[in-house]
Amino acid sequence: MGVEASRLSEGLKAGDRGSIARCITMAEDDPKAFSKVIKGLYDPKKIPHVIGITGPPGCGKSTLISQLAPIIAASGHKLAIIAIDASSPFSGGAFLGNRIRMEDTLSSSSIFMRSIATRGAKGGLTASVMNALITLSCAGFDLVIVESVGSGQADFDILNISSTILLVLAPGLGDEIQAMKAGTMEIADIFVINKSELPGADQAKRSIMAYLSSQQGKNTKKVTTTSCVSKHGIKELADLTLEHENGVDTAAFISKAFGTEVDRIAKELMSKSIDKLTQGNAASIAKMLDEGVDPYSAALELLQKLEK
Amino acid sequence: MGSGKNQKSSERPIRILLAKPAIDGHDRGIYVLARAFRDAGMEVIYPGLLPTPEEIINIAIDEDVDVIAISLLNGSHMTIFKKVMELLKKRHAEGDIAVVGGGTIPEADRPKLEKIGVTGNYGPGTPMNEIISHIRKRAEEARANKW
Repeated sequence: MGVEASRLSEGLKAGDRGSIARCITMAEDDPKAFSKVIKGLYDPKKIPHVIGITGPPGCGKSTLISQLAPIIAASGHKLAIIAIDASSPFSGGAFLGNRIRMEDTLSSSSIFMRSIATRGAKGGLTASVMNALITLSCAGFDLVIVESVGSGQADFDILNISSTILLVLAPGLGDEIQAMKAGTMEIADIFVINKSELPGADQAKRSIMAYLSSQQGKNTKKVTTTSCVSKHGIKELADLTLEHENGVDTAAFISKAFGTEVDRIAKELMSKSIDKLTQGNAASIAKMLDEGVDPYSAALELLQKLEK
Repeated sequence: MGSGKNQKSSERPIRILLAKPAIDGHDRGIYVLARAFRDAGMEVIYPGLLPTPEEIINIAIDEDVDVIAISLLNGSHMTIFKKVMELLKKRHAEGDIAVVGGGTIPEADRPKLEKIGVTGNYGPGTPMNEIISHIRKRAEEARANKW
């Protein structure tokens, strides 16, 4: 293992893809060995910035990334892509198909790409992404595009560790825009109406602009349209994204991203000890309910017992 | 290699790359397999049609998969599967990543493929459970080699 660790360290430093890939797995399997590998390579100031890309299924996120990535990489960034797909809550398996739309770009460039499954567990996804970010930072990457699943808590967690957030929408998704309002709409930096070759793109753009102008405070959010068929607006979107990235305060981004993650890990540990502390509660709950105690008083009594 | 580590890694879902290399557009079967593997709890990576052997190896290494499952129905398995194995060796990943084959493979070719390290080589009509348990076995071997 000792030899292996130093070999992986060397590989990471040299940017060897096999070593990078193996380290991302290692961070999940064996954090202790992983910490040995990154010793001397890890520098918190060099954690890559994250461009989080989200939006409803089928709006063209993967295709858009495949066209956006080469332009961003050509602007002088060492770029990687992380694509997230949902795991089945029943079997734990996942179909990771983002490469289908990206393979042309990936095989004609040196952009590193990794598919990650959500694996169900709450917060587990951010841990996987963090592992990948730390590994990539040791290999000299400075920018990572993260394609997210498009909804729910897992999505929100990822956006929380992003320095720039793109919300991708497509014409004809009126109801989806409604659904997005709670959450993603507030934190997106750039709104992208993709598939602008389809009718209704201008209308979708207008409705988003109307929504934004109804918000309080100064509006710094951008709205733009793209078409992956005609390549319209792709370069402009890349410019907008890089412009936003340039304005990001690295120290603030890192403290926010890591602060959120450390907080999450701490809460997870706490909830484990709460589970332990409340193990014997079932019996007293049944007893109190039997005695006709109302749910509120019962819960309060349990809390008081715990605080004693 | 500590025992605790092995226990931990076996909890992680098997990562498998499904690919139809070279000119073969018969993708119905691969979708059936993708679904079955997903439902068996595996993380299935599918890169779309027509990847070259070089692309398959690049993807397998980037994604750090446990198993590459390759299928061909066009009769070029002896050439292409061999090429995949050669490239895997060239990248020093032949022990870490297991290669499992399938498709329309004549009985006479199966031992030849086994010899170069492509196991399974299942034909149409093979019960899904047989394929899945073979993949699980090969994935376990690959993981044991990894660390």
